[in-house]
Amino acid sequence: MTDFDPGDYEISELGPAIKDIDDLGELEEILQAEHRGQNRAPAIALIESRIEKFSEDDEEPADADGLDLASMSTAAVGNALQSVEEVSELESLLEREEAGEDRDPVTRLIRNRIDSVKGSDEEDTEIEVDDRTPEERHPDLDHPTRDKRHVRSLHGGTYRDMWVYCETQAGELVDVSKEMLGKARELMDTYNDDYTTDERVVAVLIGADVSKHVEDVIAYGADVVVVREDARLERFQHKPYTEIFCDMARAGATHQNFEVTDGRDEPWRDYDKPRYVLFPATNNGRDLSALVQAELDSGLASDCSGLYITEEVISNPVKTGVAGEKKEFQRVLHMKRPDFSGFEYSTILCIDNPTREFHPQGASVIPGSFDVPEPDHEREGLVVEHDAPLDDDWFRVTVTDYDRLDEGIDLTGHEVIVAVGRGIGDDPTKGIELALDLADQFEDAEVGVTRGIVTGSFNFDGHVEQYTHEDRQIGETGQVVAPKLYVAAGISGAVQHKVGMDESDTIVAVNTDPDARIRDFSDYFIEGDLFEVLPRLTTALKEGRFEAAVASDGGRAASTPPAGTPDDGAGAGAAADDRGESR
Amino acid sequence: MHMVVLTKGVPDFREGQVSFDEDGHLERGKTPTVMNPNDRFALEAALQTRVRHGGRVSVMSMGPPGYKEVLREAMETVYADDLHLVSDREMAAADTWATAITLSAGIETLGEPDVVFAGFKTADGETGHTGPQTNWCLDMPLVTHVISLDIDEGAGTLRAKRLVEGDIEEIETVETELPAFVVADPEFEPSYRTAGERLTLKDLREETRARAENYEEHLTVRDHADINVDPDYIGLDGSPTIVSSVDPIPKAPAEREATMVDPDDAGAMQDVLTAMQSAVGDGDGDAAAAGGD
Repeated sequence: MTDFDPGDYEISELGPAIKDIDDLGELEEILQAEHRGQNRAPAIALIESRIEKFSEDDEEPADADGLDLASMSTAAVGNALQSVEEVSELESLLEREEAGEDRDPVTRLIRNRIDSVKGSDEEDTEIEVDDRTPEERHPDLDHPTRDKRHVRSLHGGTYRDMWVYCETQAGELVDVSKEMLGKARELMDTYNDDYTTDERVVAVLIGADVSKHVEDVIAYGADVVVVREDARLERFQHKPYTEIFCDMARAGATHQNFEVTDGRDEPWRDYDKPRYVLFPATNNGRDLSALVQAELDSGLASDCSGLYITEEVISNPVKTGVAGEKKEFQRVLHMKRPDFSGFEYSTILCIDNPTREFHPQGASVIPGSFDVPEPDHEREGLVVEHDAPLDDDWFRVTVTDYDRLDEGIDLTGHEVIVAVGRGIGDDPTKGIELALDLADQFEDAEVGVTRGIVTGSFNFDGHVEQYTHEDRQIGETGQVVAPKLYVAAGISGAVQHKVGMDESDTIVAVNTDPDARIRDFSDYFIEGDLFEVLPRLTTALKEGRFEAAVASDGGRAASTPPAGTPDDGAGAGAAADDRGESR
Repeated sequence: MHMVVLTKGVPDFREGQVSFDEDGHLERGKTPTVMNPNDRFALEAALQTRVRHGGRVSVMSMGPPGYKEVLREAMETVYADDLHLVSDREMAAADTWATAITLSAGIETLGEPDVVFAGFKTADGETGHTGPQTNWCLDMPLVTHVISLDIDEGAGTLRAKRLVEGDIEEIETVETELPAFVVADPEFEPSYRTAGERLTLKDLREETRARAENYEEHLTVRDHADINVDPDYIGLDGSPTIVSSVDPIPKAPAEREATMVDPDDAGAMQDVLTAMQSAVGDGDGDAAAAGGD
């Protein structure tokens, strides 16, 4: 018997909760319990998919002849095929399906399986790269993709150096520009050691008055600075900034039909395009990164928080050109990014195709991911001024006005932070209200949220919505706080959240799941539902002691307040009015 | 005015887990698909434009046949006139660049729209690249992170406010001519100023209800040959990037030994309370705790 009750879990929590259960019998019991209990369709699907996974693992190679295709769903056929290893059996299955139901997806699945079985049999056979032109391969199309401007990559090009776009704002270098320069310096120093070469960090400055940053940019790690100044470039504009960056990157050359034509003779460089490019993952920096890489016909990963360069063995036939064969790619920039609202880290690679080289390899970098390096004002660098003509047609979007917004909420420097996470999902508005009520019990407290709240699709009522925006996000991509007291309610404790709060003096977690990661960095772990626990804490703080809070109402509702009435949530952290006395 | 809105189906992260196949590609089959939440703002921007200026709204997506449902959802949101799905096995596993090449070719089959709208990041890829890159293929004036929008149809101009972030946050006002490409920010707010506009909105809603019931009659599905793109330049084949690995967020080593507390245990909860009070540490907490005895 299992004591696991799926009814205890929200759908979003159930997946992680059953992740470690691998006993089929236990999973079946859990499934039955869900059927008897709330009978939620997504929960059932989750448990069934788990059961299916283990059933598959246990399966012996199937007897293909025994499969009754007509009675099986496409998915079931797909699963069953995975254990059929004989091409002849698969071919007979294909014939039977074609003679019977003849379902497109099923025949496709079987064909794919045949290809993959054959592929693994033929591993030693050399397969020629198909070097026919697309026109020869697909004569039915008139090949506009190629004729249009989109394919500008090279074949047999030369690539060197790491370029860093240094964004400025209101006349200042933004911090992430310095952070990227520091990281680029570190990456290229290691790179030059590893590959015994001398490739450089090249900083790019574009704007109306940016040459004043040249020395700083060198001090933070650049070997070369390419600068473009023009009065029309005072504000970021997509088209001219992209055109200028790409003109710098290609030294004025045109890349078309895999050929390089024209281009300036720039004595400081001897390559077609940069090897790597970095951009800040800000609104404008991210846009620019996407456009530059589109124009240069290459790829990029956005919002990266980790970067390293190493070799990588790739088996994807699109990249190797040979099915079933592995190929080692050198000097690959590995771009790590938190993905799917922080569920996982993905590592993205930008890899050449056999006949189309995807360079530069590009990334945008989350501000704050890397440290601002110590500037070295003794460093020397080369300054290159870019002065190619600017086309009037690039300036079709004009900035007519701009206004600086007030600073968002600063969560740092407060005594107390009450933070909430996805655990408020049952009643998100109430969850925020309860956090505000608790924060109101302290003289200097603010309410913060996790990334899951900011990016999730919770519906908040208007009066609490302001507390759920990005400016209150705590963690890797938000603010880093270290208050005297941190209350984490309904927060599982993903590592991205942890880095934003684990320096706090005292950490009190409220969570229904005793295995939540947050337990590992909490001083107190209240194992309970935040909708019950937070009101009890609030009441107890009002009363000054705990017994009264429980005794008065069992904790669900606020007890008679000694002074004032429970806040309507309009003033989180607007300091305590009456709390000093009530304590 | 002819408006085209781009949308995408994404896994519904509110339910269950996301899973990946052995090559590191997202397994969409295991997660329900919904319209990308951020696309709502692009649809709202298009709807506002249509209410004010009239015209026709087309919604386009690239994805498997199952995305028809997403397009229906989009039709209901934006009261769209026609739906367009570019769908083809050759398009599978596309990164943003291959997607942009495909979508731009798709848009070109619809003629020359006055405004193309896209949302900011998708909930799955979260790159924010597809809108700008699609625009780069179309070479229209681009305005991104739009939070409010005004179009002067007579003058053929568009004015927008956009959000700029960095070390400071700014709101920019930008102007350009039509046709243009607009990427809506999640902070986009539509505004319907006059009673006439609100009435138009209501009429559109009524009209769409009937249309959405038979949405497939208004849906055109196109494959790569229909939009005349080369299979080598779309899908996985045309994608510069690949996902090399997907790792669970690493579990950090335990740093603190948490005292486990049962919320129904008054004594234990009193300890937490005392700790909270003394953490803020001006002595009041201790006094209060003592006073409670």
